[in-house]
Amino acid sequence: MMLSRAKPAVGGDLPHTDKRKKKGRKIPKLEELLSQRDFTGAITLLEEYENVTKEENCNPEVWVNLACTYFFLGMYKQAEAAGFKAPKSRLQNRLLFHLAHKFNDEKKLMNFHQNLQDITEDQLSLASIHYMRSHYQEAIDIYKRILLDNREYLALNVYVALCYYKLDYYDVSQEVLAVYLQQIPDSTIALNLKACNHFRLYNGKAAEAELKSLMDNASSSFEFAKELIKHNLVVFRGGEGALQVLPPLVDVIPEARLNLVIYYLRQDDVQEAYNLIKDLEPTTPQEYILKGVVNAALGQEMGSRDHMKIAQQFFQLVGGSASECDTIPGRQCMASCFFLLKQFDDVLIYLNSFKSYFYNDDIFNFNYAQAKAATGNTSEGEEVFLLIQSEKMKNDYIYLSWLARCYIMNKKPRLAWELYLKMETSGESFSLLQLIANDCYKMGQFYYSAKAFDVLERLDPNPEYWEGKRGACVGIFQMILAGREPKETLREVLHLLRSTGNTQVEYIIRIMKKWAKENRVPV
Amino acid sequence: MGPRDRSLSSLRTKTVENQTYDERLEINDSEEVASIHTPTPRHKGLLHSAHLPNKTMADNSDEYEEENNKEKKKPSQLTPHRGFSENDDDDDDDDDDSSETDSDEDDDDEEHGAPLEGAYDPTDYEHLPVSAEIKELFQYISRYTPQLIDLDHKLKPFIPDFIPAVGDIDAFLKVPRPDGKPDNLGLLVLDEPSTKQSDPTVLSLWLTENSKQHNITQHMKVKSLEDAEKNPKAIDTWIESISELHRSKPPATVHYPRPMPDIDTLMQEWSPEFEELLGKVSLPTAEIDCSLAEYIDMICAILDIPIYKSRIQSLHLLFSLYSEFKNSQHFKALAEGKKAFTPPSNSASQAGDAETLTFS
Repeated sequence: MMLSRAKPAVGGDLPHTDKRKKKGRKIPKLEELLSQRDFTGAITLLEEYENVTKEENCNPEVWVNLACTYFFLGMYKQAEAAGFKAPKSRLQNRLLFHLAHKFNDEKKLMNFHQNLQDITEDQLSLASIHYMRSHYQEAIDIYKRILLDNREYLALNVYVALCYYKLDYYDVSQEVLAVYLQQIPDSTIALNLKACNHFRLYNGKAAEAELKSLMDNASSSFEFAKELIKHNLVVFRGGEGALQVLPPLVDVIPEARLNLVIYYLRQDDVQEAYNLIKDLEPTTPQEYILKGVVNAALGQEMGSRDHMKIAQQFFQLVGGSASECDTIPGRQCMASCFFLLKQFDDVLIYLNSFKSYFYNDDIFNFNYAQAKAATGNTSEGEEVFLLIQSEKMKNDYIYLSWLARCYIMNKKPRLAWELYLKMETSGESFSLLQLIANDCYKMGQFYYSAKAFDVLERLDPNPEYWEGKRGACVGIFQMILAGREPKETLREVLHLLRSTGNTQVEYIIRIMKKWAKENRVPV
Repeated sequence: MGPRDRSLSSLRTKTVENQTYDERLEINDSEEVASIHTPTPRHKGLLHSAHLPNKTMADNSDEYEEENNKEKKKPSQLTPHRGFSENDDDDDDDDDDSSETDSDEDDDDEEHGAPLEGAYDPTDYEHLPVSAEIKELFQYISRYTPQLIDLDHKLKPFIPDFIPAVGDIDAFLKVPRPDGKPDNLGLLVLDEPSTKQSDPTVLSLWLTENSKQHNITQHMKVKSLEDAEKNPKAIDTWIESISELHRSKPPATVHYPRPMPDIDTLMQEWSPEFEELLGKVSLPTAEIDCSLAEYIDMICAILDIPIYKSRIQSLHLLFSLYSEFKNSQHFKALAEGKKAFTPPSNSASQAGDAETLTFS
């Protein structure tokens, strides 16, 4: 059952058969078809309703039937128009109740809700609304109450299983579902749910196996849920075929749009992802998370604070909610929120709480290492940075600069220098040089500081770079005197100094050479 | 989530407390985020919020001294490495401007630079026994103050897993059955079609067959199969259902305008004399030197099929008779047994009916 479609199905999609022909032999047959739940043949009959209503003296009850039909085709305006023409009935009230939900009309929703009675159909209809609004526990309560008096209502077990699935209780969902499948082993809805549970509990392969048995058993004219199955196959195969399958399903299956966004994000096509989701009014945690992710990615790509702010607020909303705060996605949200706020101690609290699930995850490690380094834990920062496999990430300047800083803080300036050597000359390599020059200087690693300043000075004759180089060269000299650098390095120091045409150079060189001579150091 | 949820949970009939997100508050400032739901205490990192005096970049050797003084003022809980978290001082700003000011150049962050573990400290080298000249040279080291290079951070957002779709729950908006009987759909069984569905085309063919309205020409939608080569199952099913249909088809009845013997009469045994003769003389084959029309007349005469003006109806009867023999289990078995004694036909092109007639 797909109640949440947003795109109306066009009439042309229905299998057309000769209407007149069917009607002639129909009436006894319809019942048979219904009892066999063979609706493919029965569907055409419904198309007759509209014609019937045009006849005079038609039974006014036909209007509500027509309205229901429109509803399932996603033609909500027509459904409402027809629904209002129908005489008051419980079915009419339920229909208008659901339409009010579709139209987001709170006032009407309340009105029709008040008219619901304590009878099975009304209560089940209400439960279905609870489900669509993510109030799963409320829905479960209704189902369980009805099941208590009506053990034979097997289908309700599937509804309960759907709720547990949504609550992430996949094991419980499987258990409840089994009750139904035992009786009706070829139920499409139930088998699809089972596949989804397998996807969450195990992996895509296990899930696909479930769907496959479903497809093998279905007759070729079986059209029901075909789109749902196609959609889920893309999901279970990790996005394979997404571009072929998902676009036509957007607004038919609510998840299709989200999955297409996820697909684009994985392809690093942030703009496409944004285009697809920008007009979506989020209502479920998944939608909030995805909007947050897209805004965060876009905001950072474009340097837009507005997008980052939106992202941070969405993350905060989900991560701080009672239902999500203890789930991994919820904590990812919280970590992301603090990351955007640059509160890295807090980022670490959240990342640490679920890091065991993401040991080899590049995205996790990229964020985790930054947070470690930003809070001064450069030794763990370095360790985590080095776990990252993705070449793309390893060439990201964020990665290079932070890793270089970690190396320097961890007294491995040579490794930082090698990072620079591997880079192509660019604005980023220039920035990295500045980082190496200054950070090494601060840490008393004057040798690599001098080398970096030397290159900087050649690229940009800024007096500041000379001052840095001068201090670093003298620093090396001091280290030699303190026995912390080999004496032979002095020769290189002199060489570095000579490359600058400055009057101070001679003075410095003279003192150094004098010392070398006194200490029998060849220069 | 969203505002509408809260209103629904306040609806009258059945309200259950603690809706998802109902405790959600709009919060602008990170400072207020802490809620009872956060798994671990927060804010231990916020102790540095006391705003330290801004300091302008000064290229003088007093730098370190000043920073060392500052360190003493700082709360001791600070990790020694604070140095590289940028812009933390924003935390005490108010919410309109809480983060990423991108103020690379104003260097407020200088204050973090102080307590670096393992940082160069000139005092460590004051004891070196060097000449005054060299000591003076060493001053160049402190003459340059290394800049604090702010590094950007980049959040790689956690991309969620793909989301499978399970559909929605039955809304109980059902067109009631016209006969008023309860259909129990959605209660006893899910309201979904069973996986075994009849093929509309096949069903139509069956219905046409049963109604015997062969003369009604109706345009029938012909089903086509996409990627047929990948779907042998569909083809097999189709072939099977069509052959089943054909098997059940009664032989087409043709209305003869002139009297014709019925098939059963024609199938009666010949007289024993004739049978005996057939053992010696074989029936005329199609090789015989005569026209097709004459040959037809001849065969029909042997088989007691009358010929009127046109031979069409007689031929129809002839072939119906042939078909009847061919499909008859009794004669099939008989033929199997007899074939052993019958010499193989000398001509491959021999008419089928002649062959069958031999068996009878």
